[in-house]
Amino acid sequence: MSILLIVLFPLIGFLINGIRYIISTKKGTKISSQQSGMIATFAMVLSFLVSVYYYFQFNGQSNEVKLIDQNLFSWIKIGAFHLDFALRLDPLSLLFSLIITGVGSLIHLYSIGYMKEDASPAKYFSYLNLFCFMMLNLVLGSSMPHVFLGWEGVGLASYLLIGYWNLDVEKVMAGQKAFVMNRIGDLGFLIAMFVAYKYVGSLDLIEIQKSTMSPFVVTVFTGLVFFACTGKSAQIPLFTWLPDAMAGPTPVSALIHAATMVTSGVYLLNRISPLLIQAPQVLSVIAIVGVTTAFIAAIIACAQKDIKKILAYSTISQLGFMFLACGVGAFDAGVFHVMTHAFFKALMFLGAGSVIHALHEEQNIFKMGGLSKKLPITTITFVVGWAAILGIPPFSGFFSKDEIIIESLNSPYGNQVLFAMALLTALLTAFYMTRLLVLVFFSPSRMDKDVEEHVHESPLVMTFPLIVLAVLSLIGGFWHHSEGAHENSQMIMITSVAVAILSAGFSFYRYRKFDSEEQTNNFIENGLGINNFYNNFFGKGVTIVSKGLFRWIEAGIIQNGLKFCTWAVEFSGNVLKSFQVGSVQVYLMMMVLLGLSLMIWVLQGVMHGVLIYGK
Amino acid sequence: MNDPWLMLIVSCTVFVIGLIGVIFRKNLLVVLMSIELMLNAVNLSFVAFSKIHHVLDGQINALFVMTVAAAESAVGLGLVIAMFRTLKTADSDQIQMLRD
Amino acid sequence: MENNQELTALLILPLLGSLLSWFIPKASQRLYALLVSFLQLATGIYIASHANFTKGGGLEQTLPWLSDLGIQLQLRLDSTSVWFVLLSGFVSFVVLGLKGSWYRKQARLFTSLSFFLIFAMNTAFLSTNLIVFYLAYEAVFIPMILMVGIWGTNAKATSVFRFFLMSFFGSILMLVSIFYLSYLSFLKTGNLSTNLDDLMKLSADSNISLSLCFVGFLLAFAIKVPLFPFHGWLKEVYVNAPTPATIWMSSLLSKLGVFGFIRFIGPLFMPTFVEYQGVLLALAAFSVIYAAFLAIQEKNPKSLLAYSSISHLGFVMLGVFSLSDAGRTSAIVLSVSHGLTSAVLFYLYDLIEVRKEGISMDRYSGMARQYPILFVCLFIGVLASLSLPGTFNFVGEFLVMLHAYPVSALCTILSGIGVILGSVYMLKFYQRIGFGKSEEMTSTADIHGFDLIVVMVILAIIIYFGFQPSIFLGGVDNV
Repeated sequence: MSILLIVLFPLIGFLINGIRYIISTKKGTKISSQQSGMIATFAMVLSFLVSVYYYFQFNGQSNEVKLIDQNLFSWIKIGAFHLDFALRLDPLSLLFSLIITGVGSLIHLYSIGYMKEDASPAKYFSYLNLFCFMMLNLVLGSSMPHVFLGWEGVGLASYLLIGYWNLDVEKVMAGQKAFVMNRIGDLGFLIAMFVAYKYVGSLDLIEIQKSTMSPFVVTVFTGLVFFACTGKSAQIPLFTWLPDAMAGPTPVSALIHAATMVTSGVYLLNRISPLLIQAPQVLSVIAIVGVTTAFIAAIIACAQKDIKKILAYSTISQLGFMFLACGVGAFDAGVFHVMTHAFFKALMFLGAGSVIHALHEEQNIFKMGGLSKKLPITTITFVVGWAAILGIPPFSGFFSKDEIIIESLNSPYGNQVLFAMALLTALLTAFYMTRLLVLVFFSPSRMDKDVEEHVHESPLVMTFPLIVLAVLSLIGGFWHHSEGAHENSQMIMITSVAVAILSAGFSFYRYRKFDSEEQTNNFIENGLGINNFYNNFFGKGVTIVSKGLFRWIEAGIIQNGLKFCTWAVEFSGNVLKSFQVGSVQVYLMMMVLLGLSLMIWVLQGVMHGVLIYGK
Repeated sequence: MNDPWLMLIVSCTVFVIGLIGVIFRKNLLVVLMSIELMLNAVNLSFVAFSKIHHVLDGQINALFVMTVAAAESAVGLGLVIAMFRTLKTADSDQIQMLRD
Repeated sequence: MENNQELTALLILPLLGSLLSWFIPKASQRLYALLVSFLQLATGIYIASHANFTKGGGLEQTLPWLSDLGIQLQLRLDSTSVWFVLLSGFVSFVVLGLKGSWYRKQARLFTSLSFFLIFAMNTAFLSTNLIVFYLAYEAVFIPMILMVGIWGTNAKATSVFRFFLMSFFGSILMLVSIFYLSYLSFLKTGNLSTNLDDLMKLSADSNISLSLCFVGFLLAFAIKVPLFPFHGWLKEVYVNAPTPATIWMSSLLSKLGVFGFIRFIGPLFMPTFVEYQGVLLALAAFSVIYAAFLAIQEKNPKSLLAYSSISHLGFVMLGVFSLSDAGRTSAIVLSVSHGLTSAVLFYLYDLIEVRKEGISMDRYSGMARQYPILFVCLFIGVLASLSLPGTFNFVGEFLVMLHAYPVSALCTILSGIGVILGSVYMLKFYQRIGFGKSEEMTSTADIHGFDLIVVMVILAIIIYFGFQPSIFLGGVDNV
């Protein structure tokens, strides 16, 4: 058994489906979604089983043993710089692998049903497997460039899948936006690598962790890595791409934009946690950014009408919680929340997918309602997810979220402001999630008649993953034992649950009989104008700069300068041309005159010489 | 006429006359004749120098030049006639085909 | 340095190919061209595989020519020139397989010019005699200009004139500098020589100021690369040239400039080079960003690719200007990878243009649906151009920036912005051509046959070397 297998199976799945896609386009045959889906799912399940094998290997071992290095080949070797292409498995990466392959398998399975009508399922599943391959590289890579390979690779897969329906230009643009914004963060990653190499001399993650850099360099390095994480994990300032990324197929949103890719920032912060501890300024920035993101995203989520957009902002908000956890030094709590969030948010996304599927691509929650009778399994599982995100005991979200809230006050890096903001966010979360639940499943139906007639529960292949994820959301919280309970933690726990239930109750009361469209604040619905600000400032800014550069420097100076040079050459040519009249006699005359003047000049010199020296 | 320097002065004068003729006369035949004048001026100076230095080389060269000049004038006349036939003119102002 | 008599084969083969093409029937010109360029590539690989390039080793051959004037035909294949020679062999093989108007109109002339170009290019890459290098460097223009003139678009006249003017301006200064250098060397040693090895000794003498000569060389190569602000000629020529000429220019001619920096300016003027390093690094970084910005607003896809070429060459120059062995090797890696990538991108773009006329960045053409395989290939090419990890370009760009960072953090970060802008314009390029709804359908088939094989081979090489670049990195002794 080798950890290479974890990475290898998705790669094989990607290649098989990719080649099948190319062959099918060449021959013009159609591939069924079952076939390609089974291949892809099978690859993921195999990979999951290998991860599970290692889980049991690690179980009960001491911490020193929980590290497996596997050197695959020498990647780059130039001068003193040597980089191996190596995989490394430790408890952190194992947990992420389990989430990626486990939740990934379920979402692959779900996709078989969801993408049944699609024109090119082989392409879709190959992209999905490519994503998992890259994501596994990200968490299993032993050096920063290897992580970067996965880091960029997941961005690529995300781009491909967001713009999967590429006939629609808006979806393509959403993909591009995600890719470019991720790349802005990636610049931070790149420069962090250069800094690390300059001051550590190696890019191996363990060596970087162990290194002793000056406090300033540590601050710069961790700050740059954190900047990279804000891109991938959709935090302020680089969070506006995630709501747009909902243009992709819903299972993609569940896998990439909820469960796995967006949490890679949390993964990376955990990886460099020994260094982060040495940089308290960066930690406080992370905490502030995390909690602000959580709060702002929660506010925006309250005014959304699109079911997937609500879930997207909710994801941003929950990611903010995870960053808050990292920022107050509670890295374990952050990772724990990654896991529970993967369960319940994937569950909710897939549930939303089931609803959208049943309603023929309707995403506006004000055109839904009363679906609890028609979609019983979806409803029950969605309620489980709802309870989990609200943090109602004993659902998984309760454990992870409360740990973060407690740590935000009790940890040495925490304070009252962070705690209050976190609590306020929990309140808002309960509000908008209940709003979503009630409007979709319990309030009176606001659907169009012809849509309502065709509503049906999804097939087993889609409901089975829902059930599994619901079970995981229910019990997932018991896998983690938090130590060292403070005396005030019980108080905080009760407060936060009470806040959530009260807020949920208010929301339920408000929306239970809603039968028209809510007038939401436009400003909030459009993401507090942040998106527009970016579009106007950076989007247009780049265009203006590039047009300006073209107009003033390229066309104005460079091209005109060139034109002037060519003109000067042509002009001097024309001037000299006028001497070339074409008559032999004129040429001859010029020759004679020139010869004469030359002769006079020489003779003058000679005479001069004679006069001075001649005696 | 015994003074070879006098011969040189004559030769120089004839040469300049020939040169001016070549440059300024428009009729190609006259230009050709002017060239002959220049050649003869050169011949004259050859002979003069041969006399000054008491070497026969100059006189031999003068003989060479005369033969070559004869051939040249034959070719030149032929060219002028050919030009006159094609261009219907022997005016050098009208024959400016070196340009364009 | 081993003495080797085979090196002239790299010059004689294309020269013969150029002459013999006049005796081959017009219909089989393409086959003939492919055959000769394949032979050429095979010879190159054969010779290279028999040499040991570690620790500055390589092959050398000296033939007497105008020895009285200090001019010899001195050829040297070392760890710098070997990659450029192989790249020229490989790219010419790719380019000559591309079908187009050049095989319909005056096909014999086209093959003849092509091989003459390769001959001149190889001479320039191999020669260590500055005069011979200069002659070859200038000789490259002749086929290039004729190609643009005969098979180019209608608006070619001014672009060719500017191209010629700027390049000639640069290289004439180089010629003067060469004369001056050899004069200085004559004063010092009493021997007339224009060989690199002899002239290299001049820079050790601190009494001699070589700044002016340095500027002469710098201009010649900076125009060729091109480096901002000497890039003015490039766009128009790329757009108006026929595709083979465009590929040659972006893949090889620009590398001639890079090569000149590494082979000649480095050894000849190191003290002066160090003096100007800051300015040059800033110019390289600015080239990256500037060209990237220009590419964003560009409407013509071919101009967009032209600007992207300038932008990537800015990265190459960043590596060269970091003035370390590792930085130089990284620059060579990036040069080769950029040569392959731009060749494949222009190649594919030509195939696309054949299938649909009048492509503009203003609207979505929606061709991906009709030509899926072509666009899969194009996408991989675009990814390589974005230097995504896992491609050869990533190795080059990463190493360049890694080694430039300790020299100048600011310039590295600035050029890093070019990476972001690169994703903006390259994705725009791909999306506008491939995605959206297409109105009309054309009857041409998807990419197939020779085109498909060639493109797949290049892409495979790009990905393979993305993971196994060690063969390129041997030039620097591993510590």
